[in-house]
Amino acid sequence: MSRPPSSLIRGIGAHIALAGYTAIALFPVAVIVINAFKSRAAIFSEPLMPPTAKSFSLIGFETISSRGDFLSYFVNSATVTGVSLALILLFGAMAAFALSEYRFRGNALIALYVALGIMIPIRLGTVAILQMMVNGGLVNNLLALILVYTAQGLPLSVFILTEFMRQISADLKDAGRIDGLSEYKIFFTLVLPLVRPAIATVAVFTMIPIWNDLWFPLILAPAEQTKTITLGAQVFIGQFVTDWNAVLAALTLAIVPVLILYLLFSRQLVRGLTAGAVK
Amino acid sequence: MTAPEFALKIEGLNKTFGDFHALDNINLEIKPGEFVVFVGPSGCGKSTLLRIIAGLEHASNGDITIAGRRANDVEPSKRDIAMVFQSYALYPHLDVRGNLSLGLKQAKKPRPFIEAQVLKAAKMLALEELLHRRPSELSGGQRQRVAIGRALVREPQLFLLDEPLSNLDAALRANTRLEIARLHRQTGKTMIYVTHDQIEAMTLADKIVVMNKGRIEQIGSPMELYRRPLNTFVASFIGSPQMNLVPGSKIGLKDVSLVGIRPEHLTISADDGPIQGAVSHVEHLGADANVYVDVADIGLIVARVAGDVEARPGETIRFDMRPDLVHYFDEQARRIN
Amino acid sequence: MSSAKFNRPPSTRWHILVFLTPTLLIYTALMVIPLASTLKQSLYNRVDDTLTFVGFSNFSKLLFDPIWATGFWNALSNNLVFFVIHMALQNPIGIALAALLANPKLRLARFYRTAIFVPTILSFVIVGFVWKLILSPLWGVAPSMLKAIGLGWLFAPWLGREDSALIALSLISVWQFVGMPMILIYAALLSIPDEVLEAAECDGIVGWSQFFKIKLPLILPTIGIASILTFVGNFNAFDLVYVSQGAQAGPNYSTDLLGTFLYRTFFGFQLQLGDTYMGATIASMMFLLILFGVCTYLFFVQRRLQRYQF
Repeated sequence: MSRPPSSLIRGIGAHIALAGYTAIALFPVAVIVINAFKSRAAIFSEPLMPPTAKSFSLIGFETISSRGDFLSYFVNSATVTGVSLALILLFGAMAAFALSEYRFRGNALIALYVALGIMIPIRLGTVAILQMMVNGGLVNNLLALILVYTAQGLPLSVFILTEFMRQISADLKDAGRIDGLSEYKIFFTLVLPLVRPAIATVAVFTMIPIWNDLWFPLILAPAEQTKTITLGAQVFIGQFVTDWNAVLAALTLAIVPVLILYLLFSRQLVRGLTAGAVK
Repeated sequence: MTAPEFALKIEGLNKTFGDFHALDNINLEIKPGEFVVFVGPSGCGKSTLLRIIAGLEHASNGDITIAGRRANDVEPSKRDIAMVFQSYALYPHLDVRGNLSLGLKQAKKPRPFIEAQVLKAAKMLALEELLHRRPSELSGGQRQRVAIGRALVREPQLFLLDEPLSNLDAALRANTRLEIARLHRQTGKTMIYVTHDQIEAMTLADKIVVMNKGRIEQIGSPMELYRRPLNTFVASFIGSPQMNLVPGSKIGLKDVSLVGIRPEHLTISADDGPIQGAVSHVEHLGADANVYVDVADIGLIVARVAGDVEARPGETIRFDMRPDLVHYFDEQARRIN
Repeated sequence: MSSAKFNRPPSTRWHILVFLTPTLLIYTALMVIPLASTLKQSLYNRVDDTLTFVGFSNFSKLLFDPIWATGFWNALSNNLVFFVIHMALQNPIGIALAALLANPKLRLARFYRTAIFVPTILSFVIVGFVWKLILSPLWGVAPSMLKAIGLGWLFAPWLGREDSALIALSLISVWQFVGMPMILIYAALLSIPDEVLEAAECDGIVGWSQFFKIKLPLILPTIGIASILTFVGNFNAFDLVYVSQGAQAGPNYSTDLLGTFLYRTFFGFQLQLGDTYMGATIASMMFLLILFGVCTYLFFVQRRLQRYQF
């Protein structure tokens, strides 16, 4: 089929529109990262130029390494995100399996009860959560964040994984039962490997808001030794407002790890979302 | 140890889902070595019955005895059965060898034994070359053979096959049917086979169990069912094209509710046959031809005649039939003669 | 057998409990109970230093007592503006981008998709500061860019001015979250079977009319989901304002949203002490608003949207 000229024009138009929006999406980030590697004078004189041999400077990063404890913030964030994610995926998959596989009294009710949490933000319970953490002595303890994020992530995880597990062949699980596998083994060795794409999707979706959250670290764990990178960057930048080199470097440090993670997983993200679509 | 009289015995079995009576008072005896086919339209309960025999579902009441041992409360893996699923249900993360051996490993059989069993089954099914492949790298027919092999290695008392051919194309289906018949001869094991396809049932079975709406309509050998269907359901389910059922009153038989004549038992007669009508359509199948005839008062009747028939739509045609091949049914659709 | 249901005698079904317990425990303890207790605390207050049940008087204070009501209505109306700007821009832009991306013949689709989603994965802290710097008159990135295209006169310190700060913040937030409707709608567009579109082509429905007559009706449920997610996110927003404008949501509370209002009330600021019970009351108001929105969506909007099975 030969393409009529109008569709060629439309194709070019699409590229112009998408390239234009891509520029809008990436430009602010690019400006920050470029200027983080320049001297203070160059930041102001030519903000849109990439660093040259003359303007290149790492002074901002030096300030950070001497003044802020970004490594420890990073470890805190990684711990909280990693542990929460593991719990959300494991517990969520277990509950999803129970809800999708077995017929029992209250099944639909439990599914609804958990699904409510998808729409209602956990932040609205902050007042009581803080009181609870104070009573439990968990303030300024990463465990408090892990528990809250796990509760926050479970509803969506259960919901998505239930949908996916319903699609798994019943014959396969029955074949496992005939081969003598226990229900636990069926879950861990047959079902879990088959929902890996869905698990990856849930992981990406739950990971981003946890890593990026400012509210709960600010309220539950603001101490220096439990600061997450999001809170750490916020506080640091607040203190060094006038030190442009340090601020730009801090922002770059906060952007780059997320960006790398995202580029690693972005395929998974879209594949998971479109899993129902492109079989 | 004396061999038990029955490989499988089911007594007074019922299964209800809420208000729905899926299986109604099922009684069934299967002798060792028999090839039994459960056949019936979809939703008739044949698959549910098979899953209850496998232990994947539980009967609401009634008894299941497998090889002389009451099996109601025995787990599927301890029932000495193996099952081949419609969708094959191969473990996607294991290669062919892994699929074949998982059940035996789970039963903690010694390694050399497992190895020997796997090789034996692979040889029987021509799977030796494929042992290292994953299910995703196999064709439909190969997957089917692996699924059968997974059942074979367990050397069960009872093979359960749930519509195993329905995902194959027509040519492969005929081949695999022969393959299954050969396996049955070679192993001499008891097999229960579920299908909705009466041709599979007729060609494979020693004994056919015809089911409808949760009940067993009739149990018998293929030819018994063909020659002496106990009711109109069985009569029209077995045989293709379907048996013609004509109200007795329309042909002057007062004490017969329905008269059944198989299409292949109608013969074209020169001038004096009792059934006469206008040809409405002719299907040429090669060796045979199906002639659809519009008979006044009765409606459409089909006759299966020799392939060289020269009937044209619109022509008047007359049929004859042998009285000893005609079936009579009463008001409850039960056989009379 | 399509049904995965599996009936076992009750005695052997402990595993169901094992599978469900961790989720139910954590979810109930950290989400349901705190929410319920927040709702309960909104009905209590300290009267003469003792905790007393006060009925709905916290709510009437919030809605009518000038000390509280000024702040509350200000935050609520700002929040509405915030939401309306999102609905007016974020979804249409997201749909347009998704429609362009979903063309199977488009090259570089994966690059565009990945790039446009980048802002969505960044934290509010980054987004807030990035834009604060870019829009800063001190640095001059924005003014010099505007000058380059001859619009230099247009520039103003938007984030610092009372009349433009809220709109500027809303636009920043739209910039950040356009990726979300885009990716959801993109997935929905891909799930429309090729046969349906080919049938439309045979019927002569191509180009824009194909989009409006065939694709748009089929993706309406997804647009609905994207909208309700936006609604919940907007009425729960806090971080962006806190980062770029501070807890005071300046200038002069012009960017105050319910989230920042809740934060100030609960934790206190400057000379005012934190107030647990009024904080719980504001959280409960937010809860009711979100619940109302979600229920409206579920019962009135979603029901009218046909879901199509392919």
